[in-house]
Amino acid sequence: MIISYNWLKDFVECDLAPQDLAEELTMLGLEVEGMTGVGDGFDSVVVALVEEKLQHPNADKLSLCKVNDGSSVHNVVCGAQNFKTGDRVALARLGTVLPGDFKIKKSKIRGEESCGMLCSQKELGLAELSDGIMVLTTDHPLGTPLFDALGLKDTIFEIGLTPNRADCLSVVGVAREVAAKLGKSIHFPGHDPLESGPAIATVASVIVEDSELCPRYAARYISGCTVAPSPAWLVKRLEAVGMRSINNVVDVTNYVLMEYGHPLHAFDFDRLAGGKIIVRRAGEGELFTTLDGQERRLVSTDLTIRDGERAVALAGIMGGENSEIAPESTNILLESAWFTPSAIRRSGKRLGLHTESSHRFERGADIGIVTRALNRAAALISELSGGVVAKGIIDVYPHKVHPRQVPFRLERVNAVLGTDLSSSQVLDIFGRLQFQTVEREPGLMTVTVPTFRVDIEREIDLIEEVARLHGFNAIPATMPVARVFSDRPPLSQKGAKLLRDLLTTHGFSEVVNFSFFGADLFDKLLLPVDDPRRETIRLLNPLSDDLAVMRSTLLPGLLQTTERNLSRRSLNLRLFELRRVYHPVPGQELAHEPLHLGAILTGRRNPEGWNHEEAPVDFFDAKGLLENIIHEFRIRGLIYSTEKLEPFYHPGKGCTLVVGGEELGSCGELHPELLERFAIEQPVYYLELDFEKLIRLGGAPLTIVPPSRYPDTFRDLALLIDEAMPASLVLEAIRTQKIKEMEGVELFDLYTGAGIPEGKKSIAVRVRYRSPERTLTDEEVTPLHARIIEHLVKKLAITVR
Amino acid sequence: MKEQLDALAATLFAAVEAASSEKDLQELKVRYLGKKGELTALMKCLGALSAEERPLVGQLINTVKGRFEEEFTSRLAAVKGAETRRRLASERIDVTLPGRRTAVGSRHPVTLVVEELSEIFAGLGFQVAEGPEIELDFYNFEALNFPADHPARDMQDTFFLEGNRLLRTHTSPVQVRTMLKHAPPVRIIAPGTVYRCDSDATHSPMFHQIEGLMVDKGITFGDLKGILTIFINQYFGKGVGMRLRPSFFPFTEPSAEIDIACVICKGKGCRVCKNSGWLEILGAGMVDPEVYRHVGYDPDAVTGFAFGMGIERMAMLKYGINDMRYLFENDIRFLSQF
Repeated sequence: MIISYNWLKDFVECDLAPQDLAEELTMLGLEVEGMTGVGDGFDSVVVALVEEKLQHPNADKLSLCKVNDGSSVHNVVCGAQNFKTGDRVALARLGTVLPGDFKIKKSKIRGEESCGMLCSQKELGLAELSDGIMVLTTDHPLGTPLFDALGLKDTIFEIGLTPNRADCLSVVGVAREVAAKLGKSIHFPGHDPLESGPAIATVASVIVEDSELCPRYAARYISGCTVAPSPAWLVKRLEAVGMRSINNVVDVTNYVLMEYGHPLHAFDFDRLAGGKIIVRRAGEGELFTTLDGQERRLVSTDLTIRDGERAVALAGIMGGENSEIAPESTNILLESAWFTPSAIRRSGKRLGLHTESSHRFERGADIGIVTRALNRAAALISELSGGVVAKGIIDVYPHKVHPRQVPFRLERVNAVLGTDLSSSQVLDIFGRLQFQTVEREPGLMTVTVPTFRVDIEREIDLIEEVARLHGFNAIPATMPVARVFSDRPPLSQKGAKLLRDLLTTHGFSEVVNFSFFGADLFDKLLLPVDDPRRETIRLLNPLSDDLAVMRSTLLPGLLQTTERNLSRRSLNLRLFELRRVYHPVPGQELAHEPLHLGAILTGRRNPEGWNHEEAPVDFFDAKGLLENIIHEFRIRGLIYSTEKLEPFYHPGKGCTLVVGGEELGSCGELHPELLERFAIEQPVYYLELDFEKLIRLGGAPLTIVPPSRYPDTFRDLALLIDEAMPASLVLEAIRTQKIKEMEGVELFDLYTGAGIPEGKKSIAVRVRYRSPERTLTDEEVTPLHARIIEHLVKKLAITVR
Repeated sequence: MKEQLDALAATLFAAVEAASSEKDLQELKVRYLGKKGELTALMKCLGALSAEERPLVGQLINTVKGRFEEEFTSRLAAVKGAETRRRLASERIDVTLPGRRTAVGSRHPVTLVVEELSEIFAGLGFQVAEGPEIELDFYNFEALNFPADHPARDMQDTFFLEGNRLLRTHTSPVQVRTMLKHAPPVRIIAPGTVYRCDSDATHSPMFHQIEGLMVDKGITFGDLKGILTIFINQYFGKGVGMRLRPSFFPFTEPSAEIDIACVICKGKGCRVCKNSGWLEILGAGMVDPEVYRHVGYDPDAVTGFAFGMGIERMAMLKYGINDMRYLFENDIRFLSQF
């Protein structure tokens, strides 16, 4: 909403500096988002008197003037001819900067000194074109800044209005707020039109067939108008608030729209068939061409204004081409109506048509101002176009809307705000807002709300008004007195924190990717057509195809992030994302939105540095992280299975994590073909876990073993096993031996190559023995160890080297 | 014999004095006090002395031995110290060489802010609550007093989904879900991801909010100001000015926008605060009775407040980030600075 300070002053007396007014408005909830000073920087362009005008001795077309600006007389060389001695002119003093960054400096023109410039309208940005310099008719004292003298000095406020404040979509509305805040009253300029000629009823008629969508329709008839350009003051005011001048009739309707906030429409009466107006819904599929030249297909819920034969306007939104005011129009039917907000909004939305008019109607215009706005416009049109306003008003208003009465309790306002306001303070506030109040008994009031405040229906709305006018910042800050209750945060919150701690200490940085991606990514991920992750939730109005489905896996986002970082030469990456994925649930409205952990490793294992190895990361870096996670979350019985492998992994370097038959996640080196599709040229390792399962399957009780005071002994085993045999099989076979002195088993070497037969591998295992009660002797350990060897040989057919 | 002893003692002590290594000292000890040592040899001769002389010489030998022990110990300490110093001096390293670091990662700034805010509000008794991102109209709009066909819905450009669902446009539906599940008192904060159909330099189609809700008997607008003052002082620093401006949200009334004195220019006016000296940081208000009606609370029995803020904005202000897009670009050079 754009408001001109000068225009505002027509309605309310206010001498606040623009900056202060902006502050007051903002603190009333009318946020001033921008301010422009009209005439700012032009204070040195002043009213001056030409005391002498002589021919320039060295130039035919120039004159040499002595100009009095009230404080001194200046020599000015001027090229214009349209003035004479004794004229008042606009003098730009030295130092003025005119539009186009044109600075006025002392200069010599053809040998004569010139100290200032006499300005034209164009040079001051007041007109597109001008003939000669400005010759002023003002009698302001010499030296008065020109913009003050011409009344052009103004401030334009840009107000960001919240959708509830329909009443402030006008000069009057903002003036009411200023008046309420400053304790001033509102005065309406102008007068009712002078009526003459026949009564309107003898010329025109209005039939409202749909009073549900059009509760009020008023009209006036003005004959004998001359459509012409608007006078300068009208053009300027409209331009000040960002509207383009069209002609003296349409401009008046726009003027009153901006001033009163009430949309009006002027029809060329002679183009209305039968001289009548019918308010009725459109026929389904009816075609109608609006003022903007667009042909629109209407539906039966769109309200139209019609003449005897056809639609002539889309009610409350835009008029029709077929009845608009043209240069040759003379007789005018002026409409001022009130339409049901939801209907206007529905039609406007469907047609993608948002106008100054629909903006106001859909937020709620003032049904009480319908005829006042009509009269204001009729008077102005008559004045500017020479038209004659017919006697009377047509006002179809079957069910008069009365101002709302809202009960109000003083105790309640103080209970909600935490204040100690008195009856009289509240009454004063309501009075300023033009609300009438009756105090039925002490502290109990009935408040009558004017029709322009469509937003006030309930007691809480009144409480907000009291708070607003009292000032939010005048309400003391207090600490709540609250009941104690305990609600321990769920494990998942602690778990998420733990997981982030673990990952960051392992060198992983957290990323946040968008929750939506393109459906084409599933093919890039090599997912088979029946993969459940292809079942996604689609956006109906995505910003682009790349952001069209809710993600069902974190992998694509992380791959894209990896690719972006690699392309920026960050080649060593450890990234993770702990965020939701989305799966539709058949038969349920809501989706399943489990939190997943995805992590990427690529590049060097260690940071670059003089004392670090250069080796790249491999599968076991990813697995090591996993093992630490599994340990921290206390998951027991986890199997790294290779039976069912995700299609996006290298077929020989990946596994699925299974706990009690349930899949917890997966881990592996990403398939080289997939990396190629994402333009990644180095091996990348990935793991993804279902965080909810991690919490649910974890949390095994801790069993604490007191540390033994006695020394350990260990025995190493070198075993030759089939290449294909998982090492875990050997380790498990040892671990599951029921030997209470066995403290632990570690695999400490793996070897294939020279000296090892084809198809075999050599592993070295260290078995550690210790007793909690005594120091074990060799004699005790040897048979225990022999038992293990025997078991391995028998069970797994292993050769002990 | 005495002369012999004196001479021996003189040589011995001179040798101790001159010894420059532990090895020298140990050799001296063997040479003089060992089984075949020179002093030991003298002692063996004691028996050959007269009864009068024997104690005197014995005494003398013991004195020499005692003194030797003393000097030996102190010389040994000195020599060892010198040796250690010499060795340590040769082991000097360049401590300005970079250390052997393991890579340490970082939390995303959005997470950092969520964790910090959760901690601040946990200290005020607020529990963290969560809700679905794929929401129904009822929770996202209707129960929050956004009627269908109302311009208030234009405030939030919505992504719609198949099956009459939508992506939540704010974290406020968590308020509704929480109140439907729990009788008052309620004290929650709800951080989460939200979506709006909007993308430009200052808008991301996905961003984050944190919502707060407190409902109980006798909660006032003044209490809202009290809680927010504490939050602002803890998050932005003590003494940061705050002001409330009337605003509009369908689910609160009275509604306010909360500004803080610009943390960049300290209120003097700069590019970030558009020269106003104030930064808008959150929206808040008293829970609208219409919301209570939807969740089955008695609006005459309880009152409460709600507030909500953008996490990205909190992060940008705290860390001086001037473009929101950095937060979603995930450039490791950006992320690793947190």
